[in-house]
Amino acid sequence: MLRIPIKVTARKLPHAGGRGSGPQGRINKMRKLVTALIRHERIEGQYQWVDEARGYAERLILEAQRNGDTHKGTMEMADYWLLEKDLVHKLFKVLVPRYTNYPASFTQLWSLGETFPGRPVPMAVLELKGNPWPPVVPKERDQRNSLVNILLDQARKDYRQQKYESIAALELNKQSEQQTSNIDDSSASTS
Amino acid sequence: MNFSLFCSALVVPCRFSNTLATKLVERHRKSKLASHTREEAETKDTTVLTAPRDYKFVYPEFLPDPTWWKRDRIREKLEREDMMRRRSVIEIPEFYVGTVMAVESSDKYAPGKKNRFVGICIQRGGHGLRAGFTLRNVIDGQGVEVQYDLYNPTIIRLEVLKLEKRLDDELLYLRDAPQEYSTVPFDMEPVVLPPGIAVPINTMKVKLGPRPWHERWERQELKGVEDLGLPERFYKRAAEVAKPWQKHDLMRDYRLAINEDETEEIMTDVYGKMQGIETQQKLRRRQGPGPAK
Repeated sequence: MLRIPIKVTARKLPHAGGRGSGPQGRINKMRKLVTALIRHERIEGQYQWVDEARGYAERLILEAQRNGDTHKGTMEMADYWLLEKDLVHKLFKVLVPRYTNYPASFTQLWSLGETFPGRPVPMAVLELKGNPWPPVVPKERDQRNSLVNILLDQARKDYRQQKYESIAALELNKQSEQQTSNIDDSSASTS
Repeated sequence: MNFSLFCSALVVPCRFSNTLATKLVERHRKSKLASHTREEAETKDTTVLTAPRDYKFVYPEFLPDPTWWKRDRIREKLEREDMMRRRSVIEIPEFYVGTVMAVESSDKYAPGKKNRFVGICIQRGGHGLRAGFTLRNVIDGQGVEVQYDLYNPTIIRLEVLKLEKRLDDELLYLRDAPQEYSTVPFDMEPVVLPPGIAVPINTMKVKLGPRPWHERWERQELKGVEDLGLPERFYKRAAEVAKPWQKHDLMRDYRLAINEDETEEIMTDVYGKMQGIETQQKLRRRQGPGPAK
Protein backbone atom coordinates (compact mmCIF):
# COMPACT_ATOMS: atom_id res chain seq x y z
CA MET A 1 0.00 0.00 0.00
CA LEU A 2 1.44 3.34 -0.99
CA ARG A 3 2.18 5.70 1.86
CA ILE A 4 1.42 8.83 -0.19
CA PRO A 5 -1.89 10.42 -1.13
CA ILE A 6 -2.68 9.70 -4.79
CA LYS A 7 -5.33 11.01 -7.14
CA VAL A 8 -8.08 8.45 -7.79
CA THR A 9 -7.59 8.89 -11.54
CA ALA A 10 -4.24 9.35 -13.25
CA ARG A 11 -3.39 12.64 -14.93
CA LYS A 12 -3.30 12.25 -18.69
CA LEU A 13 -0.43 14.75 -19.13
CA PRO A 14 -0.95 15.09 -22.89
CA HIS A 15 2.14 17.26 -23.35
CA ALA A 16 4.53 15.46 -21.02
CA GLY A 17 6.36 13.60 -23.76
CA GLY A 18 5.94 16.36 -26.34
CA ARG A 19 2.71 17.35 -28.07
CA GLY A 20 0.85 14.47 -29.68
CA SER A 21 3.00 11.83 -28.03
CA GLY A 22 -0.03 10.30 -26.31
CA PRO A 23 0.00 7.83 -23.42
CA GLN A 24 3.25 6.26 -24.59
CA GLY A 25 4.89 9.68 -24.38
CA ARG A 26 3.51 10.15 -20.90
CA ILE A 27 4.98 6.86 -19.74
CA ASN A 28 8.33 7.71 -21.37
CA LYS A 29 8.41 11.01 -19.50
CA MET A 30 7.59 9.20 -16.26
CA ARG A 31 10.43 6.76 -16.92
CA LYS A 32 12.86 9.62 -17.42
CA LEU A 33 11.73 11.30 -14.22
CA VAL A 34 11.91 8.10 -12.15
CA THR A 35 15.38 7.34 -13.53
CA ALA A 36 16.54 10.87 -12.71
CA LEU A 37 15.09 10.62 -9.20
CA ILE A 38 16.87 7.35 -8.46
CA ARG A 39 20.09 8.74 -9.95
CA HIS A 40 20.22 12.19 -8.34
CA GLU A 41 17.92 11.60 -5.32
CA ARG A 42 16.49 15.09 -5.78
CA ILE A 43 14.85 16.51 -8.93
CA GLU A 44 12.93 19.62 -9.84
CA GLY A 45 10.14 19.90 -12.40
CA GLN A 46 6.53 20.75 -13.12
CA TYR A 47 4.38 19.87 -10.13
CA GLN A 48 1.97 17.62 -12.05
CA TRP A 49 4.75 15.66 -13.77
CA VAL A 50 6.77 15.23 -10.63
CA ASP A 51 3.73 14.33 -8.53
CA GLU A 52 2.72 11.70 -11.08
CA ALA A 53 6.25 10.30 -11.20
CA ARG A 54 6.27 10.10 -7.42
CA GLY A 55 3.69 7.31 -7.42
CA TYR A 56 5.73 5.27 -9.90
CA ALA A 57 8.93 5.70 -7.89
CA GLU A 58 7.19 4.77 -4.63
CA ARG A 59 5.58 1.72 -6.20
CA LEU A 60 8.87 0.59 -7.76
CA ILE A 61 10.74 0.78 -4.45
CA LEU A 62 7.86 -0.92 -2.65
CA GLU A 63 7.80 -3.78 -5.15
CA ALA A 64 11.58 -4.16 -4.96
CA GLN A 65 11.35 -4.26 -1.19
CA ARG A 66 8.48 -6.73 -1.13
CA ASN A 67 9.67 -9.18 -3.79
CA GLY A 68 13.45 -8.82 -3.81
CA ASP A 69 15.82 -9.13 -6.76
CA THR A 70 15.04 -12.80 -7.41
CA HIS A 71 11.46 -12.08 -8.48
CA LYS A 72 11.16 -12.13 -12.25
CA GLY A 73 8.30 -9.64 -12.62
CA THR A 74 9.88 -7.11 -10.30
CA MET A 75 13.21 -7.32 -12.11
CA GLU A 76 11.42 -6.78 -15.42
CA MET A 77 9.68 -3.71 -13.97
CA ALA A 78 12.99 -2.33 -12.67
CA ASP A 79 14.54 -2.95 -16.07
CA TYR A 80 11.68 -1.07 -17.77
CA TRP A 81 11.48 1.88 -15.39
CA LEU A 82 15.19 2.52 -14.93
CA LEU A 83 16.63 3.64 -18.25
CA GLU A 84 20.21 3.55 -16.95
CA LYS A 85 20.91 -0.02 -15.98
CA ASP A 86 23.42 0.64 -13.20
CA LEU A 87 20.45 2.03 -11.26
CA VAL A 88 18.84 -1.42 -11.10
CA HIS A 89 21.74 -2.37 -8.85
CA LYS A 90 21.26 0.81 -6.81
CA LEU A 91 17.54 0.09 -6.38
CA PHE A 92 18.03 -3.40 -4.94
CA LYS A 93 21.35 -2.99 -3.16
CA VAL A 94 21.14 0.58 -1.85
CA LEU A 95 17.56 1.81 -1.67
CA VAL A 96 15.91 -1.40 -0.47
CA PRO A 97 18.26 -1.74 2.54
CA ARG A 98 17.88 1.98 3.21
CA TYR A 99 14.11 1.72 3.48
CA THR A 100 13.88 -1.55 5.39
CA ASN A 101 11.16 -1.26 8.07
CA TYR A 102 10.64 2.34 7.04
CA PRO A 103 7.43 3.68 8.60
CA ALA A 104 6.63 6.46 6.10
CA SER A 105 6.79 7.25 2.38
CA PHE A 106 10.14 6.95 0.61
CA THR A 107 9.85 10.27 -1.20
CA GLN A 108 9.11 13.84 -0.29
CA LEU A 109 7.42 16.43 -2.51
CA TRP A 110 7.95 20.14 -1.98
CA SER A 111 5.88 22.72 -3.81
CA LEU A 112 7.92 25.58 -5.23
CA GLY A 113 5.17 27.92 -6.40
CA GLU A 114 4.64 29.17 -9.92
CA THR A 115 7.19 30.33 -12.43
CA PHE A 116 7.50 34.08 -12.99
CA PRO A 117 7.70 35.95 -15.32
CA GLY A 118 5.74 34.30 -18.12
CA ARG A 119 3.04 31.67 -18.10
CA PRO A 120 2.55 30.52 -14.50
CA VAL A 121 3.63 26.87 -14.18
CA PRO A 122 3.50 25.26 -10.72
CA MET A 123 6.91 23.76 -9.96
CA ALA A 124 7.97 21.24 -7.35
CA VAL A 125 10.95 19.38 -5.92
CA LEU A 126 10.84 15.62 -5.50
CA GLU A 127 13.45 13.87 -3.40
CA LEU A 128 14.22 10.48 -1.96
CA LYS A 129 14.11 10.52 1.80
CA GLY A 130 17.39 10.06 3.58
CA ASN A 131 19.35 11.67 0.75
CA PRO A 132 22.68 13.27 1.61
CA TRP A 133 21.89 16.77 0.32
CA PRO A 134 21.22 19.75 2.58
CA PRO A 135 17.52 19.92 3.54
CA VAL A 136 15.10 21.77 1.24
CA VAL A 137 13.54 23.59 4.17
CA PRO A 138 16.47 24.74 6.30
CA LYS A 139 16.45 23.59 9.87
CA GLU A 140 15.73 26.46 12.24
CA ARG A 141 18.69 27.14 14.50
CA ASP A 142 18.11 27.27 18.22
CA GLN A 143 19.22 30.81 19.04
CA ARG A 144 17.85 31.12 22.56
CA ASN A 145 21.31 31.05 24.03
CA SER A 146 22.90 33.66 21.81
CA LEU A 147 24.24 36.69 23.73
CA VAL A 148 21.90 39.21 22.10
CA ASN A 149 18.83 37.11 22.93
CA ILE A 150 19.93 36.64 26.55
CA LEU A 151 20.44 40.40 26.94
CA LEU A 152 17.09 41.14 25.29
CA ASP A 153 15.33 38.63 27.57
CA GLN A 154 16.89 40.24 30.63
CA ALA A 155 15.94 43.74 29.43
CA ARG A 156 12.36 42.54 28.90
CA LYS A 157 12.26 41.04 32.37
CA ASP A 158 13.62 44.23 33.93
CA TYR A 159 11.09 46.37 32.09
CA ARG A 160 8.26 44.12 33.25
CA GLN A 161 9.53 44.22 36.82
CA GLN A 162 9.56 48.02 36.72
CA LYS A 163 6.05 48.07 35.34
CA TYR A 164 4.76 45.76 38.10
CA GLU A 165 6.41 47.88 40.78
CA SER A 166 4.86 51.07 39.44
CA ILE A 167 1.43 49.44 39.30
CA ALA A 168 1.83 48.15 42.84
CA ALA A 169 2.82 51.63 44.03
CA LEU A 170 -0.24 53.15 42.35
CA GLU A 171 -2.52 50.58 43.98
CA LEU A 172 -1.01 51.31 47.39
CA ASN A 173 -1.56 55.03 46.89
CA LYS A 174 -5.20 54.48 45.91
CA GLN A 175 -5.84 52.25 48.95
CA SER A 176 -4.32 54.75 51.38
CA GLU A 177 -6.39 57.58 49.83
CA GLN A 178 -9.57 55.53 50.19
CA GLN A 179 -8.79 54.76 53.82
CA THR A 180 -8.29 58.42 54.64
CA SER A 181 -11.53 59.36 52.85
CA ASN A 182 -13.41 56.66 54.81
CA ILE A 183 -12.07 58.03 58.11
CA ASP A 184 -13.16 61.53 57.05
CA ASP A 185 -16.68 60.28 56.21
CA SER A 186 -17.10 58.41 59.47
CA SER A 187 -15.90 61.40 61.52
CA ALA A 188 -18.32 63.62 59.63
CA SER A 189 -21.29 61.30 60.30
CA THR A 190 -20.56 60.93 64.03
CA SER A 191 -20.25 64.72 64.58
CA MET B 1 42.25 15.20 -2.16
CA ASN B 2 40.72 11.97 -0.83
CA PHE B 3 42.05 9.07 -2.91
CA SER B 4 38.70 7.23 -3.21
CA LEU B 5 36.97 10.44 -4.29
CA PHE B 6 39.66 10.91 -6.93
CA CYS B 7 39.16 7.31 -8.15
CA SER B 8 35.38 7.63 -8.32
CA ALA B 9 35.72 10.84 -10.30
CA LEU B 10 37.90 9.01 -12.77
CA VAL B 11 35.57 6.03 -13.18
CA VAL B 12 32.31 7.98 -13.61
CA PRO B 13 31.59 8.68 -17.29
CA CYS B 14 31.43 12.23 -18.57
CA ARG B 15 27.66 12.52 -18.63
CA PHE B 16 27.44 11.73 -14.89
CA SER B 17 30.11 14.27 -14.05
CA ASN B 18 27.60 16.25 -11.99
CA THR B 19 26.77 13.22 -9.80
CA LEU B 20 28.63 11.44 -7.06
CA ALA B 21 29.32 7.74 -6.85
CA THR B 22 26.72 5.78 -4.91
CA LYS B 23 29.33 4.57 -2.47
CA LEU B 24 30.39 8.09 -1.55
CA VAL B 25 26.82 9.26 -1.18
CA GLU B 26 26.03 6.35 1.12
CA ARG B 27 29.03 7.09 3.31
CA HIS B 28 27.97 10.68 3.71
CA ARG B 29 24.36 9.65 4.28
CA LYS B 30 25.32 7.40 7.17
CA SER B 31 27.63 9.99 8.71
CA LYS B 32 26.45 11.36 12.04
CA LEU B 33 27.78 14.79 11.09
CA ALA B 34 25.29 15.24 8.20
CA SER B 35 22.46 17.69 8.71
CA HIS B 36 19.63 15.58 7.21
CA THR B 37 17.05 13.92 9.46
CA ARG B 38 16.62 10.16 9.86
CA GLU B 39 13.39 8.21 10.24
CA GLU B 40 13.20 5.61 12.96
CA ALA B 41 12.83 1.97 11.91
CA GLU B 42 9.61 0.13 12.61
CA THR B 43 9.38 -3.53 13.58
CA LYS B 44 6.53 -5.69 12.34
CA ASP B 45 4.66 -8.18 14.51
CA THR B 46 5.25 -11.57 12.90
CA THR B 47 3.35 -13.68 15.42
CA VAL B 48 -0.02 -13.15 13.68
CA LEU B 49 -1.29 -16.05 11.55
CA THR B 50 -1.10 -15.04 7.89
CA ALA B 51 -2.71 -16.65 4.87
CA PRO B 52 -0.58 -18.37 2.21
CA ARG B 53 0.38 -16.04 -0.62
CA ASP B 54 -1.74 -17.81 -3.28
CA TYR B 55 -4.87 -17.70 -1.15
CA LYS B 56 -6.28 -14.80 -3.17
CA PHE B 57 -6.31 -17.02 -6.27
CA VAL B 58 -8.14 -19.81 -4.44
CA TYR B 59 -10.87 -17.51 -3.06
CA PRO B 60 -10.84 -14.46 -5.35
CA GLU B 61 -14.44 -13.52 -4.58
CA PHE B 62 -13.51 -12.37 -1.08
CA LEU B 63 -11.63 -9.40 -2.52
CA PRO B 64 -13.95 -6.40 -2.88
CA ASP B 65 -14.52 -4.36 -6.02
CA PRO B 66 -11.49 -2.05 -6.36
CA THR B 67 -13.50 0.78 -7.99
CA TRP B 68 -12.88 3.60 -5.52
CA TRP B 69 -16.40 5.00 -5.47
CA LYS B 70 -17.96 1.58 -4.92
CA ARG B 71 -15.92 0.78 -1.83
CA ASP B 72 -17.49 0.60 1.62
CA ARG B 73 -15.36 -1.13 4.26
CA ILE B 74 -18.27 -1.92 6.58
CA ARG B 75 -20.42 -3.41 3.82
CA GLU B 76 -17.47 -5.47 2.61
CA LYS B 77 -16.92 -6.89 6.08
CA LEU B 78 -20.61 -7.71 6.54
CA GLU B 79 -20.70 -9.37 3.12
CA ARG B 80 -17.68 -11.46 4.04
CA GLU B 81 -19.46 -12.64 7.17
CA ASP B 82 -22.55 -13.55 5.14
CA MET B 83 -20.39 -15.48 2.68
CA MET B 84 -18.83 -17.39 5.54
CA ARG B 85 -22.28 -18.20 6.90
CA ARG B 86 -23.26 -19.60 3.51
CA ARG B 87 -20.02 -21.55 3.25
CA SER B 88 -20.65 -23.17 6.63
CA VAL B 89 -23.91 -24.62 5.20
CA ILE B 90 -22.89 -25.54 1.65
CA GLU B 91 -19.52 -26.75 0.45
CA ILE B 92 -18.13 -24.36 -2.17
CA PRO B 93 -15.05 -26.12 -3.55
CA GLU B 94 -11.89 -24.59 -5.00
CA PHE B 95 -12.28 -24.12 -8.76
CA TYR B 96 -10.77 -22.14 -11.61
CA VAL B 97 -11.62 -21.16 -15.14
CA GLY B 98 -11.29 -24.39 -17.15
CA THR B 99 -12.56 -26.62 -14.34
CA VAL B 100 -15.38 -29.04 -15.18
CA MET B 101 -18.17 -28.60 -12.66
CA ALA B 102 -21.65 -29.84 -11.83
CA VAL B 103 -24.25 -27.60 -10.22
CA GLU B 104 -27.45 -28.86 -8.64
CA SER B 105 -30.00 -26.14 -8.04
CA SER B 106 -33.60 -26.11 -7.01
CA ASP B 107 -36.07 -25.35 -9.77
CA LYS B 108 -39.76 -25.61 -8.97
CA TYR B 109 -40.71 -26.26 -12.58
CA ALA B 110 -38.25 -29.14 -13.08
CA PRO B 111 -39.29 -32.73 -12.40
CA GLY B 112 -38.17 -33.59 -8.90
CA LYS B 113 -37.82 -29.80 -8.32
CA LYS B 114 -34.10 -30.13 -8.97
CA ASN B 115 -31.93 -29.25 -11.91
CA ARG B 116 -28.41 -30.48 -12.55
CA PHE B 117 -26.10 -28.87 -15.06
CA VAL B 118 -22.61 -30.01 -15.96
CA GLY B 119 -20.18 -27.87 -17.90
CA ILE B 120 -16.80 -26.30 -18.20
CA CYS B 121 -16.26 -23.04 -16.31
CA ILE B 122 -15.50 -20.40 -18.95
CA GLN B 123 -15.70 -17.28 -16.82
CA ARG B 124 -15.47 -16.36 -13.20
CA GLY B 125 -16.02 -12.89 -11.80
CA GLY B 126 -17.84 -10.54 -9.49
CA HIS B 127 -17.02 -9.54 -5.96
CA GLY B 128 -18.43 -10.47 -2.58
CA LEU B 129 -21.94 -11.89 -2.49
CA ARG B 130 -22.45 -11.04 -6.18
CA ALA B 131 -19.60 -13.32 -7.32
CA GLY B 132 -20.50 -15.80 -10.01
CA PHE B 133 -19.34 -18.11 -12.76
CA THR B 134 -20.49 -19.36 -16.16
CA LEU B 135 -20.69 -23.00 -17.20
CA ARG B 136 -20.72 -24.06 -20.83
CA ASN B 137 -21.71 -27.35 -22.38
CA VAL B 138 -23.18 -28.65 -25.62
CA ILE B 139 -26.64 -30.21 -25.35
CA ASP B 140 -28.29 -31.81 -28.39
CA GLY B 141 -25.81 -30.09 -30.69
CA GLN B 142 -26.57 -26.69 -29.19
CA GLY B 143 -24.08 -24.73 -27.09
CA VAL B 144 -25.61 -23.83 -23.72
CA GLU B 145 -24.22 -21.48 -21.11
CA VAL B 146 -25.61 -21.01 -17.61
CA GLN B 147 -24.56 -18.20 -15.33
CA TYR B 148 -24.69 -19.01 -11.63
CA ASP B 149 -24.28 -16.79 -8.61
CA LEU B 150 -21.86 -18.50 -6.26
CA TYR B 151 -23.81 -17.54 -3.13
CA ASN B 152 -27.28 -18.07 -4.56
CA PRO B 153 -29.37 -19.84 -1.88
CA THR B 154 -31.18 -21.95 -4.51
CA ILE B 155 -27.93 -23.81 -5.28
CA ILE B 156 -28.07 -27.18 -3.55
CA ARG B 157 -24.72 -28.68 -4.43
CA LEU B 158 -21.54 -27.57 -6.19
CA GLU B 159 -19.31 -30.35 -7.38
CA VAL B 160 -15.93 -30.21 -9.07
CA LEU B 161 -15.62 -33.06 -11.57
CA LYS B 162 -12.19 -32.22 -12.94
CA LEU B 163 -10.04 -29.62 -11.23
CA GLU B 164 -7.69 -27.89 -13.65
CA LYS B 165 -6.62 -24.49 -14.90
CA ARG B 166 -6.29 -23.30 -18.48
CA LEU B 167 -3.84 -20.88 -20.05
CA ASP B 168 -6.29 -17.96 -20.20
CA ASP B 169 -8.32 -16.06 -17.62
CA GLU B 170 -11.50 -16.42 -19.68
CA LEU B 171 -12.48 -19.14 -22.15
CA LEU B 172 -15.13 -17.14 -24.01
CA TYR B 173 -13.46 -18.14 -27.28
CA LEU B 174 -14.93 -21.62 -26.86
CA ARG B 175 -18.11 -20.07 -28.35
CA ASP B 176 -16.28 -19.76 -31.64
CA ALA B 177 -14.48 -23.10 -31.38
CA PRO B 178 -15.80 -26.46 -32.61
CA GLN B 179 -18.25 -28.05 -30.22
CA GLU B 180 -15.98 -30.90 -29.13
CA TYR B 181 -13.90 -28.42 -27.07
CA SER B 182 -16.82 -27.55 -24.78
CA THR B 183 -18.67 -30.86 -24.70
CA VAL B 184 -18.76 -32.58 -21.34
CA PRO B 185 -20.83 -35.73 -20.68
CA PHE B 186 -23.49 -35.28 -17.96
CA ASP B 187 -22.61 -38.63 -16.39
CA MET B 188 -18.93 -37.76 -16.01
CA GLU B 189 -17.19 -39.40 -13.06
CA PRO B 190 -15.24 -37.03 -10.76
CA VAL B 191 -11.47 -37.17 -11.34
CA VAL B 192 -9.68 -37.55 -8.01
CA LEU B 193 -6.32 -35.81 -7.71
CA PRO B 194 -3.64 -37.16 -5.35
CA PRO B 195 -3.56 -35.09 -2.14
CA GLY B 196 -1.03 -32.28 -1.82
CA ILE B 197 -0.56 -31.86 -5.57
CA ALA B 198 -0.63 -28.44 -7.25
CA VAL B 199 -3.62 -27.69 -9.46
CA PRO B 200 -2.73 -29.06 -12.92
CA ILE B 201 -2.67 -26.64 -15.84
CA ASN B 202 -4.19 -27.86 -19.08
CA THR B 203 -1.99 -26.49 -21.87
CA MET B 204 -4.39 -27.49 -24.62
CA LYS B 205 -4.52 -25.10 -27.59
CA VAL B 206 -7.92 -24.57 -29.15
CA LYS B 207 -8.33 -24.37 -32.91
CA LEU B 208 -11.05 -21.79 -33.56
CA GLY B 209 -13.60 -22.17 -36.33
CA PRO B 210 -13.82 -19.79 -39.30
CA ARG B 211 -14.91 -16.16 -38.94
CA PRO B 212 -17.32 -14.40 -38.17
CA TRP B 213 -16.59 -14.52 -34.45
CA HIS B 214 -18.15 -13.05 -31.33
CA GLU B 215 -15.04 -10.98 -30.60
CA ARG B 216 -11.87 -9.92 -32.36
CA TRP B 217 -9.71 -12.62 -30.85
CA GLU B 218 -6.61 -11.52 -32.76
CA ARG B 219 -6.59 -8.32 -30.67
CA GLN B 220 -6.45 -10.20 -27.38
CA GLU B 221 -3.29 -11.87 -26.22
CA LEU B 222 -4.69 -15.38 -25.97
CA LYS B 223 -2.36 -18.17 -24.97
CA GLY B 224 -4.74 -21.11 -25.30
CA VAL B 225 -5.55 -20.59 -28.98
CA GLU B 226 -3.77 -21.95 -32.02
CA ASP B 227 -2.68 -19.63 -34.82
CA LEU B 228 -5.78 -17.86 -36.08
CA GLY B 229 -4.67 -17.91 -39.73
CA LEU B 230 -6.04 -14.46 -40.60
CA PRO B 231 -4.89 -12.20 -43.45
CA GLU B 232 -2.05 -9.78 -42.64
CA ARG B 233 -4.31 -6.70 -42.39
CA PHE B 234 -6.00 -8.05 -39.23
CA TYR B 235 -2.70 -8.31 -37.33
CA LYS B 236 -1.65 -4.90 -38.64
CA ARG B 237 -4.81 -3.32 -37.30
CA ALA B 238 -4.43 -5.22 -34.01
CA ALA B 239 -0.94 -3.77 -33.60
CA GLU B 240 -2.33 -0.29 -34.30
CA VAL B 241 -4.97 -0.43 -31.58
CA ALA B 242 -2.78 -2.27 -29.06
CA LYS B 243 -1.87 -0.48 -25.82
CA PRO B 244 1.61 -1.79 -25.00
CA TRP B 245 2.29 0.97 -22.44
CA GLN B 246 -0.32 -0.46 -20.08
CA LYS B 247 1.79 -3.54 -19.39
CA HIS B 248 4.32 -1.73 -17.20
CA ASP B 249 2.03 1.01 -15.84
CA LEU B 250 2.57 0.39 -12.14
CA MET B 251 0.08 3.01 -11.01
CA ARG B 252 -2.63 1.74 -13.35
CA ASP B 253 -2.24 -1.72 -11.83
CA TYR B 254 -2.34 -0.17 -8.38
CA ARG B 255 -5.56 1.71 -9.07
CA LEU B 256 -7.27 -1.26 -10.74
CA ALA B 257 -6.63 -3.77 -7.96
CA ILE B 258 -6.92 -4.13 -4.21
CA ASN B 259 -3.41 -3.42 -2.94
CA GLU B 260 -1.20 -6.09 -1.39
CA ASP B 261 -1.50 -4.94 2.21
CA GLU B 262 -5.28 -4.84 2.09
CA THR B 263 -5.39 -8.21 0.30
CA GLU B 264 -3.21 -9.70 3.00
CA GLU B 265 -5.46 -8.27 5.71
CA ILE B 266 -8.64 -9.61 4.08
CA MET B 267 -7.13 -13.01 3.29
CA THR B 268 -5.78 -13.41 6.81
CA ASP B 269 -9.30 -12.77 8.08
CA VAL B 270 -10.71 -15.29 5.56
CA TYR B 271 -7.99 -17.84 6.34
CA GLY B 272 -8.75 -17.79 10.06
CA LYS B 273 -12.47 -18.37 9.46
CA MET B 274 -11.99 -20.98 6.72
CA GLN B 275 -9.91 -23.18 9.06
CA GLY B 276 -12.95 -23.74 11.28
CA ILE B 277 -15.32 -24.28 8.35
CA GLU B 278 -13.00 -26.81 6.70
CA THR B 279 -12.75 -28.93 9.85
CA GLN B 280 -16.55 -28.89 10.12
CA GLN B 281 -16.85 -30.02 6.50
CA LYS B 282 -14.34 -32.84 7.02
CA LEU B 283 -16.36 -34.08 10.00
CA ARG B 284 -19.57 -33.92 7.97
CA ARG B 285 -17.96 -35.84 5.09
CA ARG B 286 -16.75 -38.54 7.48
CA GLN B 287 -20.24 -38.89 8.93
CA GLY B 288 -21.63 -39.43 5.43
CA PRO B 289 -24.57 -37.84 3.65
CA GLY B 290 -27.28 -36.86 6.09
CA PRO B 291 -30.91 -35.96 5.40
CA ALA B 292 -31.36 -33.61 2.45
CA LYS B 293 -31.75 -29.94 3.35
